[in-house]
Amino acid sequence: MNHLDIAVIGGGLLGSAFAYGLSTDGGRVGLIDEGDHAIRTARGNFGLVWVQGKGLGMPDYARWSLRSAYAWTPFSEELQAQTGTLVEYHRPGGFYVSIDDTEFADNVARLKQLRDEAGDEGYDYEVVERAALCEQLPGIGPDVPGATYCPHDGHANPLKLLRALQEAFRLNGGTYTPSSRVTTIRPVNGGGFEILCEGGREFGCEKLVIAAGHGSAELGKSLGMEIPIFPVQGQVVVTERAQMTMTYPTNYVRQTDDGNYLLGPSARDVGFNDETETTTLRDITRRCTTAFPHLRRLRIQRTWAALRIMTPDGFPVYLQSEAYPEAFSFSCHSGVTLAAVHATDVSRWVLDGHIPSQYRCFHPERFDVPA
Amino acid sequence: MTQDTCTDVVVVGAGPAGMTTASCLAESGVRALLLDEHTAPGGQVYRSVEKVTDKRPADLNVLGSHYRSGSKAVERLHSSGAQYWPGTSVWEISAAEEPALAVGVVRDGRARMIQAGHIVLATGAMERPTPFPGWTLPGVMTVGAAQTLLKSSGLVPEGRIAVAGSGPLLYLYISQLIKAGKKPQVILDTRPRASLQTKLSVLAALTVDPASMFRGLGWMREVRREIRVRERVHRLRASGVEKLSSISYESCDRQFTDEVDLLLVHDGVIPNTWLAMSAGCRHHWNVQQRCWVPDITGAGQTSRQSVSVVGDAAGIIGADASVLHGEAVACEVAACLEGKQPGVVGNAAHPLLAWQHRTLRRCLDQFYPPAQEFELPPDDETVVCRCEEVTAGEIRRVAALGCVGPNQGKAFTRCGMGPCMGRKCGVTVSRLIAEHHGLSMHEVGHYRIRPPVKPINVGQLADLETDADAHTD
Amino acid sequence: MYRRRDPISDSIIIWFCDRRIEAAADDSVAAALLAASISCFGRTAVSGAPRAPFCMIGNCFDCLVEIDGETNLQACLVTVREGMRIRPHPGNGFGDNGEKGEA
Repeated sequence: MNHLDIAVIGGGLLGSAFAYGLSTDGGRVGLIDEGDHAIRTARGNFGLVWVQGKGLGMPDYARWSLRSAYAWTPFSEELQAQTGTLVEYHRPGGFYVSIDDTEFADNVARLKQLRDEAGDEGYDYEVVERAALCEQLPGIGPDVPGATYCPHDGHANPLKLLRALQEAFRLNGGTYTPSSRVTTIRPVNGGGFEILCEGGREFGCEKLVIAAGHGSAELGKSLGMEIPIFPVQGQVVVTERAQMTMTYPTNYVRQTDDGNYLLGPSARDVGFNDETETTTLRDITRRCTTAFPHLRRLRIQRTWAALRIMTPDGFPVYLQSEAYPEAFSFSCHSGVTLAAVHATDVSRWVLDGHIPSQYRCFHPERFDVPA
Repeated sequence: MTQDTCTDVVVVGAGPAGMTTASCLAESGVRALLLDEHTAPGGQVYRSVEKVTDKRPADLNVLGSHYRSGSKAVERLHSSGAQYWPGTSVWEISAAEEPALAVGVVRDGRARMIQAGHIVLATGAMERPTPFPGWTLPGVMTVGAAQTLLKSSGLVPEGRIAVAGSGPLLYLYISQLIKAGKKPQVILDTRPRASLQTKLSVLAALTVDPASMFRGLGWMREVRREIRVRERVHRLRASGVEKLSSISYESCDRQFTDEVDLLLVHDGVIPNTWLAMSAGCRHHWNVQQRCWVPDITGAGQTSRQSVSVVGDAAGIIGADASVLHGEAVACEVAACLEGKQPGVVGNAAHPLLAWQHRTLRRCLDQFYPPAQEFELPPDDETVVCRCEEVTAGEIRRVAALGCVGPNQGKAFTRCGMGPCMGRKCGVTVSRLIAEHHGLSMHEVGHYRIRPPVKPINVGQLADLETDADAHTD
Repeated sequence: MYRRRDPISDSIIIWFCDRRIEAAADDSVAAALLAASISCFGRTAVSGAPRAPFCMIGNCFDCLVEIDGETNLQACLVTVREGMRIRPHPGNGFGDNGEKGEA
């Protein structure tokens, strides 16, 4: 049996961020992960580090996203300095582009409502009519009525982020164990847990963080944690590399540092189906070429579908087991935006042994889930 | 929905297997549509056979009698009543979870969907990847590529030529080249010393299929008589600025450097599984042939109910066996469409011939094993993913970081993210990861292949019309 | 790199950048360019390394070209046409023509 101070279950964007953050404290931290052919939501992320439009109905979430966006700068710089892997974080601000008048009006109304709810508090945005967009978004389509701009928005490379987190984690002395799907968690009399994995591997730990994506619900149950999550499929179209022309990320399209364009978004309720679907891909390309007609010439390099970890209101679910307070679970669909606060604040919560009361808003009790 | 966007069976690939399957189906009254990305039928083995027969009959003597016999399958196709769309590439097969089975194609620059009751993949074979330092230089090509140029355009290499690797195709091509009046400078045979088992398997094949064996051994003898052969070659390296100018290698404990203008490499062929993998068909690692092969029940039924594979795409069997297989799969598919159980007769067509082919194939696998150094490039600087220029060293580095499979490797290094989608690197990447972790290829697995499997542009997809649109337009 | 066994009987003219090339009417674009000793069809996106056809059967994608303004075509699969204008595929970072990405 491997003995750990803290075990993190799940090697995706959340688990890797927690493992990295926890590993800076000097204890024995283990990151336990499945293999290559599991759901692996982390591989399917658009890469936005986004604030605009978030938190309708829960201003605390807007504040949380904003806090993370600003923590991203030192977070990414430290990761890069330690590992040499560039995570390509840029914060030039972002545009929410609308492709018709209804969408434009709805978006502007939504942002106004958010500001009314949340108060200004650095919650800036600007409505930009089409004519003024041409300079910042060259090639903007003639049918686009306008967009909203928020200076806090940015983007990063989620795959490089995952790699850098795991590299830094190892450099800090953490142990990464793949191909170890957790089947059972057993609390130990007197404190701590035993973790049993498929294939026979076993771990013992004092503290436990469950960040296993869709697997968290099942694992959390055994420790009395009700985690209401369900899959929402998203598909993305990735183009070949092209000359760099889009420096601002948008809700529909962003261009990576390598020159590829990512086209999205989409949402389908199809259970655990992670196959792409033709009309969904086609509709993505239609919307994105309405926004940016010049994309039409580019070859589609690849497409993918991934399963977001969605909660009933779309906001994170963070909790600590009441029966076993050394166990925590964290779930959300914004693994990139929140990576910075996950690596810093949330890791601190685990080390200190409790989630601060100001973040009780993320507890699933808000859904009236039975304890 | 117009008549031509719907059919009973779509067959992808107009090589001997695909042509035979489509012909057989059409002859028995099934609506069959044969798609192929080339402009003429024949696949690779019979590439341009119609054109050569018509316009360059003198070349038939160079290319040989086996090539010439390809006309039969082409004639059968034309008279069978099967619909045939050349110049059509297939970029996707709809997912199993979707209600209707459809094939996404690009034809004349336009994307469209074809609905079908069943799909047969006859995507044939491709050459096994052969990574070594310098293999990406202009001037390094596969033997198959050179042979395609000979067949389709009557082109013969110029200057100093080296041919490296092993396999029957290598000797066939060189014998064709000699007949065409050109001799390579040197053959670099990468095989290890023949084991007793290898020699025994040759004897076995000689008794089982003497005709093919004599033909093959004949090419080898002829070629080796005329051209210098270096044995047990390893540490092959190609060098040059902007294009190939020299190669270096070791053979029998000696070091060599040769100035060459063209290096042709070949290390056997493996099934082209990309479309079958993108359709979600299960595959397993065939240890004998060192390649991924679809799981098949019956003659050609994959793990996906409405998808079959036929010919080399199902496992390397060669052109003649592919024709027999085409007939068997056509019978099975026809029975399937009628809701019948495929008859024993269909599956057991020509059992003796099939057994002969299998035995010959086993011998060839034994006699021409893939080169160890191409499977596991020893030099870290060797580019493994040609498209994204990811080296063997980089793959080893992420394997050490904890990547236990090629998809995580892809996420961390971009290998497999280029236009070839891993066709040239997939097997190598899985191999390198398997070696690092002491895992089998089956445990490591292969890339998850997603559409588009062939090029399609954003605009082409945006303009795609489906049935749903037809009602609203 | 390659020469024709027989003289061209049905010749047509195509262009590769500014170079005028005589091709056979049923050549693939790749065959016509190789027969004209073109050894660099384009450059890689990552390092700008020169590339030419490797497999000739549509699997390596090292022969991607732009033909008469249409991009992402595999030269080994397209048949030549009279007057065809071929350029290296722009997405590969070779002499990018700057047309992409602009209004």
